[in-house]
Amino acid sequence: MARNTVGRWTDERPAAYDYQEVPRGGQDTHQPGLMPDAGVATRQAEKAPAPKRADKSRVDEWMEVEFKFGGSRIKRKAPALILLGLPALVPLFFMLPALITLNSNTFAVSVDDTLGTGAEICLFLCLLVTPMVTLTGQRWFVPLRRWYGIMMAACAFGDATAAGITDNFAGGVFGRLAGHVFELMGFIMVMLVIPLVLTGNPWAQRKLGKYWKRLHRLIYVIWGFLAAHLILLEGFGFERGSNGSGFAGDGDPIFHQRLYQYSACSVFLLVLRLPPVKRWIAARHKEGRMWLVWVTVLPLFALFVFGFIFIVNEEIFKGLDSFTEHPSGE
Amino acid sequence: MTSETYGIGSQEQTAAGRVILMVSSFLAALLVIAGLIYATGTGARHKAAVAAAGCEPSLFISGLPCTTEQMMASRYEAIVTPATQQLNTEIAAYAVNERRDLAAAEADLSAEVVTEQAFDNSLAATTFTPQNRAAAEALIQNATSSGTPVPLAAAILTPQVTVIADALIQANQARATLLAEQARSPSLIQLRSFNRRVQVASAAVQTEMKLIAKALDAPSPAG
Repeated sequence: MARNTVGRWTDERPAAYDYQEVPRGGQDTHQPGLMPDAGVATRQAEKAPAPKRADKSRVDEWMEVEFKFGGSRIKRKAPALILLGLPALVPLFFMLPALITLNSNTFAVSVDDTLGTGAEICLFLCLLVTPMVTLTGQRWFVPLRRWYGIMMAACAFGDATAAGITDNFAGGVFGRLAGHVFELMGFIMVMLVIPLVLTGNPWAQRKLGKYWKRLHRLIYVIWGFLAAHLILLEGFGFERGSNGSGFAGDGDPIFHQRLYQYSACSVFLLVLRLPPVKRWIAARHKEGRMWLVWVTVLPLFALFVFGFIFIVNEEIFKGLDSFTEHPSGE
Repeated sequence: MTSETYGIGSQEQTAAGRVILMVSSFLAALLVIAGLIYATGTGARHKAAVAAAGCEPSLFISGLPCTTEQMMASRYEAIVTPATQQLNTEIAAYAVNERRDLAAAEADLSAEVVTEQAFDNSLAATTFTPQNRAAAEALIQNATSSGTPVPLAAAILTPQVTVIADALIQANQARATLLAEQARSPSLIQLRSFNRRVQVASAAVQTEMKLIAKALDAPSPAG
């Protein structure tokens, strides 16, 4: 009996299942997408009349402390969130000179690399929040999920808009956006992002009620479509010598294969979302053996970092080319 | 009893998570180790890839089309071939005039000097200097941005070939100085008295030209 009920990992679970630590298994750890912080608070207040303040981590409490800055008082977490959130603006910043000078060549050649890769980075950062909450028990950085989601949408819209205007594919705007299957995947992703952006606010969350969470699970569909997009774009293999960051290759063709990068990042993000894994982590936390969790998760996190570094490397190289308006067509 | 049942149930519930995490972490660890081992060979693979593409490693710019040996040789030939043809014509004209027309012979020598200086300037523009390298990179970037082929002017010489090119320029300048002095001769006899020294200077130029042609694997121009 117990196995049939205790194993659930939903919002409806009874509070009596004390091995599921509330901050970890609370609503935020589920939410995949663009949940506003205020909305979280509202829903938690509605569903859990007695919030488990005692479970708040010490770091969360420390982050909530206000300090004087100029004439006002701000919470410690505010500058931390700004610092962590700023890098999400970088892909758009890279395209700014081309936008100001209306350099259609830069848009045509490198917008997909700069903004497309930027959207991928923001998606992974958005998806990273939940596993980090699971692992650390801290929640002060949860607002970043919404921010990264919005920036992912901005990059995706920018990419689609530029591709629709400047690409060389036949068939008009639609042909340029969805004329090839890999483009169609990208186009579908952009279409799926639209409802997430439109409903990524407290008002929409209140209005949609229980459907809000289901709707925002679309982020997982986007995650899946990104895999299809990259498979169609790069295939499963890699080209020797010509798949690096230079025409003659930089000796690391495997690391520059986008599907491999995606896979390396996704394993960590996926495994840490699996209910049995979350239960195991919660149980170890309750036993006070978080060191075991960290040791076990470390290789997965290292793999994530490995993949993510090369995505960021791609973004920086292509982005700087775009910024200087000498886009690399590679 | 209830707590015991619950405890066992809880352990069973977390066992699946433990297995998933252990297996995935083990595989991730293998991948990370394999990746790190693979990364140690980056330098060797980079050299091999650059060589396979016929690129000059010293001229390689990450993310941009590389300069090949063929491009270097073509650019050198594009400079040396017309200059050599021009010089051969002027030397032939001097050979005709050196015994009968002082003014015409001096004009031929002056023309040789101009040709030599133009050649030196063109060759100096291909040497491996920070300015030339920046100009070449700009040309390559522009070509890449506009989707056009990389122009020949973007091909500069490697540091090794630049050493020979500098020696060639020096030898050429020595010959040009001698020719300019010869062109100021007041008589045909004095004019011809320079010929021996000019031949020695020309031989020095020829030696450097053969060396550079060998380094570039390009045919040595006749003359």
